[in-house]
Parts: sequence; C-alpha cells; structure tokens
Amino acid sequence: MIARRLAPLLLLIAVSLPQAGIAQTAPAAPPVSPRIPWEKEVRSIAEGPWNGPRLPDGQPDISGFWSNTIANQSNFTDPQAGDPDRPSAAFRLPRNQRAPSRVTDPADGQVPYQPEARALQEDFARNFQNPTKPQYVEPLARCAPAGVPKSFMWHGHEIRQYPGYVLFLFDSGTRIVHLDDGPHLSDSIKLWNGDSHGHWEGNTLVVNVTNNNGKALFGYSGDFMSENATVVERYIFAEDGKRFNYVATFTDPTVYTRPWTATIPLRRFTEADGPMDWHYMVTPVNLPGKQLLESPERICVENNGVFGGGAVGVPSDRPIISR
Amino acid sequence: MRSNFERSRHALFAAIALAGAMVANAPAQAQATVDVPRLASGRPDFSGIWETLSEADYDLEPHAGRRDAPPGPGVIHEGTIPYRPEALEQRQRNFAARGEKDPRLRCWVLGVPRGVYYPAPFQIFQRDNDVTLVHQFGHQVRTIATNGSDHPVEKGQEFWLGDSRGYWEGDTLVVDVTDFNPDTWLDRAGNYHSENLHVVERWRFVDRDTIAYSATLEDPKVFTRPWTMDVLLHRRRDLGFELIEDYCNTVEYERYYPHKDGQ
Repeated sequence: MIARRLAPLLLLIAVSLPQAGIAQTAPAAPPVSPRIPWEKEVRSIAEGPWNGPRLPDGQPDISGFWSNTIANQSNFTDPQAGDPDRPSAAFRLPRNQRAPSRVTDPADGQVPYQPEARALQEDFARNFQNPTKPQYVEPLARCAPAGVPKSFMWHGHEIRQYPGYVLFLFDSGTRIVHLDDGPHLSDSIKLWNGDSHGHWEGNTLVVNVTNNNGKALFGYSGDFMSENATVVERYIFAEDGKRFNYVATFTDPTVYTRPWTATIPLRRFTEADGPMDWHYMVTPVNLPGKQLLESPERICVENNGVFGGGAVGVPSDRPIISR
Repeated sequence: MRSNFERSRHALFAAIALAGAMVANAPAQAQATVDVPRLASGRPDFSGIWETLSEADYDLEPHAGRRDAPPGPGVIHEGTIPYRPEALEQRQRNFAARGEKDPRLRCWVLGVPRGVYYPAPFQIFQRDNDVTLVHQFGHQVRTIATNGSDHPVEKGQEFWLGDSRGYWEGDTLVVDVTDFNPDTWLDRAGNYHSENLHVVERWRFVDRDTIAYSATLEDPKVFTRPWTMDVLLHRRRDLGFELIEDYCNTVEYERYYPHKDGQ
C-alpha cells in the first residue's frame, strides 16, 4: 500500500525510457511541495548524557517515525539548490539563504575527493538528467536500497528498538544495528547497507558500518564512497526526543584525500502531525478508542517494475536469479 | 463492518483452523511445562533467527525427488491441497512454467506464509505491541500487530504480505492475515492462491530453540475447503550468526556502481 503510493513520487525521480535516453526527472512535472517547509537551519545537538525516557534494557527510547528537515537526496552539498542542471528557485538566492552543505568537515562544505573520484562524481551529475548509460541511473530509481547515508535523506523511516538491536525500516531497505561492537562480517562480503555494529554513549548511538559496497551513491549529485569505505555514524538525540542529528564520518583512502563528516538533521513525526506526504506515510490503526497511525508494508520493486525496473534493465517478467 | 454471514463464516473457519492445529500438534502438547524465553509481560519471546529444515518451499505436497527439488514428505495436514477443478488446472500450468514464473526468481517478496518456510533465515524482533519479521531473502519485512487492533477498516486493499493481526491464546501466537494480492505463490511447485486468501497462523514453542508453525489457508475461489500445513522452525545457533542482506533484486544492475561501466 505504501509503496503503491510511492509510485507517483518515485516517478518524479525515476526512470522512463524515451528513445533519446532515460529521463530521471519528469520534465513537465511541477515540484512536489512537502506540507512542512524545508528548514534552512541545522540545529546543533550536543553529545551528552541522556535524561529522557529509557527502555527496560536501558537504551534511550527513541523508537518511532523520523524524517529529514532540510531536503531530499537531490543535491548532497547544496541541499536546497535543486537537481543537477535543474536549479531550484532557492538557487538564485545568496548561498547563506539556503540550508548549508551536509558536509560539515572540512569547513568548505565539499567532499574531499581525490581528482579521479571528483571526475567520476561530476561525470554522473552531468549525465543525471539524460542518462545514456546504465551507470548514470540513480540506483534508488531502480528500487535499490538507499544505503548509507542516503536512507536518511529521502522518505521518512521508522526506528524500532529491542534488547541488543536498533532496527531501521526504510522504504528502500532495512538496517539491523547490532548493539555489540562485535565482529563484523568477512571483508569479502560487500553490502548495500553494510554491516552495522554499535553502542550507546549517553544520548548518542554510535555505529561502525563496514562491508559497504559503495553502490547506493548519495543522491542525484553522484557523491559516493567506494567498497573500501568505513563509516562511523553518531546519531545524536535531543533531550526532548523530538530531533536527532545524523553525523557520519567517512574514511576511504581510495576515494578521499582525508576522512570527512556529513550531518543530516531529522525530526520526529507522531500522531499529532497527521499523515504527511513521504515524511510520514501512515494509515489509521483499526483500534476503536485509540487514534493511532501505522506504516503499511514498505515494498518498492514489485510496485514499480515498469519504470523502476523494466525500463532500465531490471526485467520484471523473467528470472534474474537461478537459486 | 463484517456481515453476520461473514462473521459466522469466520467463526467456523477459526474453529476448523483450531481443530486442525490441535490434531497436528498433539504429540508436542504440554506447553505449560516447556521452558521458553519470555518477555517481561510473560508472553513467549520468539526473538531470534529462524529457518526451516523442511522441503516445504520446494513443494508443499508429498513428492519424490526431481531435477529441481529434493524429495519431501509433504507438510499438509490433509495430504494434498483441495483445489477446485479449474484451479487445479491453473496450478498445473504454474508447475509446468515454474522455472520461469516463480516470483522468487525475480527476488520479489515471497508473501505469507511462504516467507516463513522459504529455506533462508529470518529474524524475529518482538515487542509487546508488535512482532517484526525481517527476512534475509529479498526485501521482505512483515509487521504482525499485537496491540489488539483489527484489519484496516478500508477493505479491498491488496498487500503483498497481507495484513497481519495477532493475538495470544495462552502461549500460542495466533495471527489472522487478510487483504492479500493474488501475485505471490505458495511454493516453487506453482501452488497458489487468489486475492481472497485468508491465513490463520499459529506460532508456538516446542522447546526454546524450535517453533511449531502452522498455517490454515482459506480461499473459496481456489480451494474447496480450508487446509492446514505444519512446519518446524529451528533457531540458527551457528557461532556469531547474523543475517546477511540479500537484495538480489539488484543483481542485474549492481555492476554499474559506483560509477562503473559494467565491465
């Protein structure tokens, strides 16, 4: 159900196959306006002790629905500037009147790519609007898992917590964070979402993500890590439980000149907000006397086969595995 | 709201499902004496990684070994699936085309109950108000609500996984699943259902590392009467075992990323 509602949204970013190429954005479509305005500021949240509610196992209780506050995945370092080669209205404003770069270290807001990696990123951005090769199709348009960190930059998600685990349910993919710091999978295994092990430090969930395959990209601008990257994520939760900042440090000597850090701000959504576009796609719970909302099943591939699959080389009518 | 007719039909169906499960599970009764993991609430705690050892996904019905399936004794309480005549013809067409048409070959969600006995691990995460099943294969994640809620008021919704509402009968988790679409299969042999499928699952510990799982399927468009399958689910206890994501729907294009020409 939720994925069926995704379809028109995905259409805007996704793929049709005109003879001249593959359009990843629908040229004539008006921009989708979220019902909450994107924020221009990123509120700082300090790491420190957690004084809010806790679960019986001692974890800070941060379960629930969350979504980003400044922009989707259209542009990583100038989040409100629009897609590559399709600037937003805000792009004409002075830079300091748009949300800042998600890159918070180094201070110039740019991913510190090595020259070859920068060339690859720029090549993707140049070809995004008219992808003439499969590698220029943004993988989320094919219902690939959004991966790290893009999962936190598009549709809202749900966090569920259990003794020993934090579970993230995204519209494209699921992440199981093991609260054990304990051994990672073999280096030879590379995954869209990586392998996540972590622990709590006060109000901050610290997660080491290894085994990344680097394939998900960070959005339309083509920013990326490689299969050699490791990521240390710090999810810093505000004391009132209404916000968190996702602060992730990327280390990849084959792509970057130095480790660098991204910050993605998110806010909580609750029943008081009511359903809200892709931030909080929920339906009423049939429980008389209670006004609860829940997320229906999150399924992308099956409901988007025509443009998310078949049009760009993912057959929806014949086998793709033989096991 | 349901009509009286529907209500009585569902009550009858539930009684049949219960009777089937009771007969099938008779040898493994004596739940009260089983030492099982429990939540603080006292409910059995199914948290963990589970997988069947059965051949159910190859063919729910009794079958000898063949090119694409090991032999299996069958898991259906009644022996075989009571298809309507025209539905049996469809099943036979499915069987003939199984090497091409099985939705699993596209890495699509396997549905309910198939995901449970597909031969790959799945992890159960459990809270008082819901049970979450994360399946290693593909991108299938199912929530079973156990907060007392009923199926959505809006009828005619067709979910790939159906809509799962669970409640407890003693130490047995009973899950009522409705609102399916007709696009999933029940196994690799082409056994199938329509959008009218109604499943009642029963989850119960045999011991702390084994779950007795049964599912009673009702689908008047395809089956002449409800029928019940039973499989055991075993806890994966391999040292350090964890799920490894298997988004096999990406295999056709993953070679193009990041920024690769596919060679």
